[in-house]
Amino acid sequence: MSRIEPWHQVNWDWRAAGNFIGGGSGTGLVILAALAAGQGTTYWPLGFLGVILVGIGLFCVWLEIGRPWRALHVFYHPQTSWMTREAFVSALLLPVTMVAALASSPFLFEPAVAKGAIWLAALLAALYLYCQARILHCSKGIPAWRHPSLMPVIILTGLTEGAGFLLMGTALVGGHFVWPLLLLLILLLGRWMAWRRYLANLAETGAPSKALAVLNGATPMINILGHYAASILIVLALLTGAFGPLFAALAGLAAIAGGWQMKFVVVARAAFNQGFALPLTPVRGTGKPGPADKPGWSKSGP
Amino acid sequence: MTRYVMVADLRRCVGCQTCTAACKHANATPPGVQWRQVLDMETGTYPQVQRTFVPVGCMHCADPPCEHVCPSTATKIRPDGIVEIDYDLCIGCGYCAVACPYQARHIVHKRDLAYDKQAMAHEDARFDEGRMSVAMKCNFCQGRIDTAKETGQTPGVDPEVTPACVNSCIADALHFGDRDDPNSNVSALLAENQTFRMHEELGTDPGFYYIWDKNE
Amino acid sequence: MSTTKKVPQYCYQCVAGPDFLTVKVEDGVATEIEPNFALADVHPGAGKSCVKAYGLVQKTYNPNRLLTPMKRTNPKKGRDEDPGFVPISWDEALGMVEGKLKEIQAKGLYDELGYARVAASFGGGGTPTYYMGTFPAFLGAWGAVDFSFGSGQGVKCTHSEHLYGELWHRAFTVSADTPTTNYILSFGGNPEASAGVIGISRHADARARGAKRVQIEPHLSVTGACSAEWVPIRPKTDPAFMYGLIHVMLHEMPRERLDLEFLTDHTGSPYLVAPNGYFLRDPVTHKPLMWDNTRGAAVTFDTPDIKPALEGSFTVSGVEVGADGEEWQHEAIEVQTAFSHLVKQMAQYTPEWAEEICQVPDGCIRRIADEFVSHAQVGDTIEIDGEVLPLRPVAVILGKTVNNGWGGYECCWGRTLLACLVGSLEVPGGTLGTTVRLNRPATTRQASVIGGPDGFMQYPMNATDKEGWQETPKARNAHDTLVPLSASSPWSQALGPTHLAWMFRKESPENWPEVSAPDLWFVYRTNPAISFWDTKAVTERIAEFPFIVSFCYIRDETNHMADVLLPECTDFESTQLIRVGGTKFIESYWDHEGVALRQPAIKPLGETRDFTDIATELAERAGILDKYNNAINRGAGGVPLRGGNYDFSLDIEQSHGAEEIWDAMCRAASAELTDGAETDGLDWYKEHGIRTRPISRLIWYLFPELRKKGLRFEMPYQEQLYRVGKQLGNRLHEKGIEWWNEQLKEYEPLPPWKDFPGIWEQATVNSGGALADYPFWLLTSRSMQLAWGSNSSIQMIDEVAKNMRGHRAVVMNAGRAAEMGIEDGDLVEINSTLRGTKGRVVLKQGIRPDTILIQGQFDHWVTPYSKDNPAPSMNTVVPMSLALTDATGSAADIVRVAVKRLEGPA
Repeated sequence: MSRIEPWHQVNWDWRAAGNFIGGGSGTGLVILAALAAGQGTTYWPLGFLGVILVGIGLFCVWLEIGRPWRALHVFYHPQTSWMTREAFVSALLLPVTMVAALASSPFLFEPAVAKGAIWLAALLAALYLYCQARILHCSKGIPAWRHPSLMPVIILTGLTEGAGFLLMGTALVGGHFVWPLLLLLILLLGRWMAWRRYLANLAETGAPSKALAVLNGATPMINILGHYAASILIVLALLTGAFGPLFAALAGLAAIAGGWQMKFVVVARAAFNQGFALPLTPVRGTGKPGPADKPGWSKSGP
Repeated sequence: MTRYVMVADLRRCVGCQTCTAACKHANATPPGVQWRQVLDMETGTYPQVQRTFVPVGCMHCADPPCEHVCPSTATKIRPDGIVEIDYDLCIGCGYCAVACPYQARHIVHKRDLAYDKQAMAHEDARFDEGRMSVAMKCNFCQGRIDTAKETGQTPGVDPEVTPACVNSCIADALHFGDRDDPNSNVSALLAENQTFRMHEELGTDPGFYYIWDKNE
Repeated sequence: MSTTKKVPQYCYQCVAGPDFLTVKVEDGVATEIEPNFALADVHPGAGKSCVKAYGLVQKTYNPNRLLTPMKRTNPKKGRDEDPGFVPISWDEALGMVEGKLKEIQAKGLYDELGYARVAASFGGGGTPTYYMGTFPAFLGAWGAVDFSFGSGQGVKCTHSEHLYGELWHRAFTVSADTPTTNYILSFGGNPEASAGVIGISRHADARARGAKRVQIEPHLSVTGACSAEWVPIRPKTDPAFMYGLIHVMLHEMPRERLDLEFLTDHTGSPYLVAPNGYFLRDPVTHKPLMWDNTRGAAVTFDTPDIKPALEGSFTVSGVEVGADGEEWQHEAIEVQTAFSHLVKQMAQYTPEWAEEICQVPDGCIRRIADEFVSHAQVGDTIEIDGEVLPLRPVAVILGKTVNNGWGGYECCWGRTLLACLVGSLEVPGGTLGTTVRLNRPATTRQASVIGGPDGFMQYPMNATDKEGWQETPKARNAHDTLVPLSASSPWSQALGPTHLAWMFRKESPENWPEVSAPDLWFVYRTNPAISFWDTKAVTERIAEFPFIVSFCYIRDETNHMADVLLPECTDFESTQLIRVGGTKFIESYWDHEGVALRQPAIKPLGETRDFTDIATELAERAGILDKYNNAINRGAGGVPLRGGNYDFSLDIEQSHGAEEIWDAMCRAASAELTDGAETDGLDWYKEHGIRTRPISRLIWYLFPELRKKGLRFEMPYQEQLYRVGKQLGNRLHEKGIEWWNEQLKEYEPLPPWKDFPGIWEQATVNSGGALADYPFWLLTSRSMQLAWGSNSSIQMIDEVAKNMRGHRAVVMNAGRAAEMGIEDGDLVEINSTLRGTKGRVVLKQGIRPDTILIQGQFDHWVTPYSKDNPAPSMNTVVPMSLALTDATGSAADIVRVAVKRLEGPA
């Protein structure tokens, strides 16, 4: 049956969300782990975890595509496709991060190689994260994705999740956690602001009403878990000595959970398409045209 | 240059769906997939109400978001403006489908039958495995357009080289032709009438015009 | 090696046909329907067919098709009985039918009650004829067949229009002269859904050139959508709106804005009306009198060189002839013209009065009246093929529920009167008839214009005088006894009040003979078990029929009760030649006439057989082969095989195959169309599909024929109907029949407004419902995709139909729904006092708050696919009753209902 008002797209589901979740967290971790490594935190478990997270994300994509055995065709269009670019970056990111992790691990300890590889991996991770933000931005058929205000959200939540994983990792393998906590606090503030700004700007420009309802409906839980609880846990981690690493890990977990929920909601729940609209209605025989209509939209913005 | 476009006269369209059916015949699309369809849109509030029948499908944009995002180059813009899909290249990632603001792209992963109990002879005869799990959409019946190059006929004028939906239209609401040819049928229609394009504000430069009134 | 061919075909699934197409056949498989552009210059629809034709490929290969004959093994019949159909051979199947036919022959063709023992029902407004090959010749050869068990005729057709339209202007249906008109008032008319390829293209052209159509209807149909203006009128109050318009034209406008010449010279307006309501007549000749302004005296209407007075009072002597020959002699009495009576009658119907009834502002009615008259261009002329005709580009069209049932007479009269007031009846740009089915000869409308004694066209009323009245009905629906207007053409039985056959089968009313079940009932392309009102009751009646033979392609609700199923070749598998062109049923006006072929594009599936071969074998088995062949030779298959200079007639003693029969038909048609110059046979038609010759567009209009013959339109005063009604009343009362009294009141010479909505409201109360509990009017509307052709069982058609909002749903006003807490997609139950039906709600702004619309009418419970895709059904909840039957024997698809929310969206 033909539909007029925006309806939820059916082509990308939880598997696509998995790519943004895994890719964002993984690249965020690879970036944050590089910073932490500079501060003496053990890199290699974090690096491996980053590779695994990004890999899980890519595996989700592979599950999603209709013709998985043609997956290599994904490399054919670097000129304009951010998906191709993401693929190219991933082709470098994964081996470089592996090298960095291996070179900084007891198995193949090469500090000089590791140092360069860690920063190269971080750079590639940043590129990868940027690609992901652009992938959504270029999805012109989904108003909630194409809005430019979503890009900072995707990047900031990737970094925030990375910081979260860093803190969890630090709790396990040891290392400084005060500055990561402070950094997480700053990232949480940034993500919170970016999310608020995204919602406000989306409402301002107009969007499918159902998309706005989904996003606004999910925001309290995203904030409670991902921002407020995480922030309180950071404060608790800073204030409590012995339990600091535990609270830090929990803060990281909360930040990750909030970020994952955020991306799942955006990709798999708020992805209402453009729908159809009329700038005016036709003149049948005589008279004047009828008014414009954009059914299912909060306002008749683009 | 050539740019093939569709022109739908909204004053004429009655929502009969003959074009929808003709397209399904010409392109053997599976149940539930309509490359061409006519929307039944209601605007206004009782008793000031308008109801408009709006043919939609791929708009064959000059700046198509689907083509930009396609990672495999399966989606291409032909020199004549038709946005085509190479089914052998497509990986079925669906990125084009979320990039298209006209909901024009379809991916079918499992063979659907009109009647569940068994495939009909014509369904079997026209089933194309190559179109499974890849993106598909209206291609302006590009095979017919290509024939025109061989036969010297004019798409939009000669039925053999004109999209099925246009041929079938009983209200003479759908027209097809070369917008860049000032002497073409569609150029005349565009010159004589007032038109709009769907979601024009998104900058896709769609190749599908809607007539809503004659020129003032 | 793969082969591809495109085979020309016609589609006549609906009354707006035939349309043309080619079917593409790839390696023996039909794959694709396309327009037949080779016919673009001949077919007014440019060689195209509508969406329904595109369903024919799936129809052909539908896996639910019946591919062998079957017989019933469970003798019990009923909705809940499994028929236990088992496959049998053709020999056994036709043997069963033969046995029954011979049994009937032995007993006599008529039963003890005088009814034909064989009955046949074909749906689709006669369109099954275009698929049943030579079966009409079989029926003709058999002789006694009752066609009066209808499938919806009287309810689902434009019944009042058929009868009154044929009476007044040989208009079986009525259409605007759309290519020329500039202004159309459409009271629920729905050409965008029902006028087919030709009608839709004509109206689209009209819109594009700036013609204005005002759509007056309770919900915004597709036709309303495509109109310049929508006027949401209260259901069943259309006559009040029309009367308001007529009041404005007669009482608020200068008289000279009307077409006084048309009224004076081409209608019965100047006829003088005597005190008892009949025309004042010449004492000697009994011809009606008019006042001649030149002579200053009353003269008979046919006096040469008279200048009749259109209005005024005159002192005249004469005779008045009432019912059953009653006469009154009048000496120097004061009489007025029919027009003056009209003016007086319409004085009460002010727009303010109309507003109270139809809830349309008086200002709107006045504006529309002014627009209508302004657009009429009174005084303008146009030349067509050398003949100068009035040009009056304004038309009025009516929808089904508007002109069916109570109020139908008033609407048809109002519509025809509006045309007469501005002279737009049967002239270019105006309101036209399409074809004739009741008047004879039916070759053209013009041929049926035969002068009557009063200066009007003769109409073949069923007699109501003592000698001629058909006291005992010949057909089970009693059309010949109860409905004088239904005439007695081959179409009359199937057209008449066909629900009466079903109703009287159950229980005859007082002093009425019993109605028997037919010994054998043929059904083809019809499904009354779901297509009539009160389908539950119809189904129960069908189950009582002892022997039912169904020609069918799938199982359905009616053949669920059948004894033998005969699977005939469908559209692309069989051969038939039909006449095309001229003017046909629905807005189908051609500039050509001729014949078109339907031919086998593919090999028949399974054991299906060409209908012609079935008919021939049945004729042979029944021992009537000679009569059957004779009937074919005379033209029962569509074309007479013998003409002035050709003879392709069949040997009547021999059995002939379908190809041979149609080859002869093709040769005869070729000869007929070329005056014997060509004799091309079947092979030529298989290649070309169609043969035509040009005709004059003058045949679109009846006015030239009346002018030529010096006849007038029988408007506005209905003296003849008034007399007929009185006589019918006398006959019925003599038999002690009082149950038709309300219907008798319809025979008014100038029909006054009656509280038409109140009739349905009263019916609700009488059936035990409190009106407040049934606050909505339930209406229906034509679905172009699903109407005709059993298309709801075709997946592709169902799929594309759903693109139109409201299919398989209950449409209601969004504001009203919000007040009731009902949301889009909610499941609701619609209950009349009869029973209920369920469906999902589609909320719209384009519907009155007091109105509910169920577009689909059918409640399938057997038909494969359809039964698994349930839809709310109008037919389930509409009662079938005498109280809701008007004098023409029709009723409307309308009922008061309650709406109850059951659950949220699926």
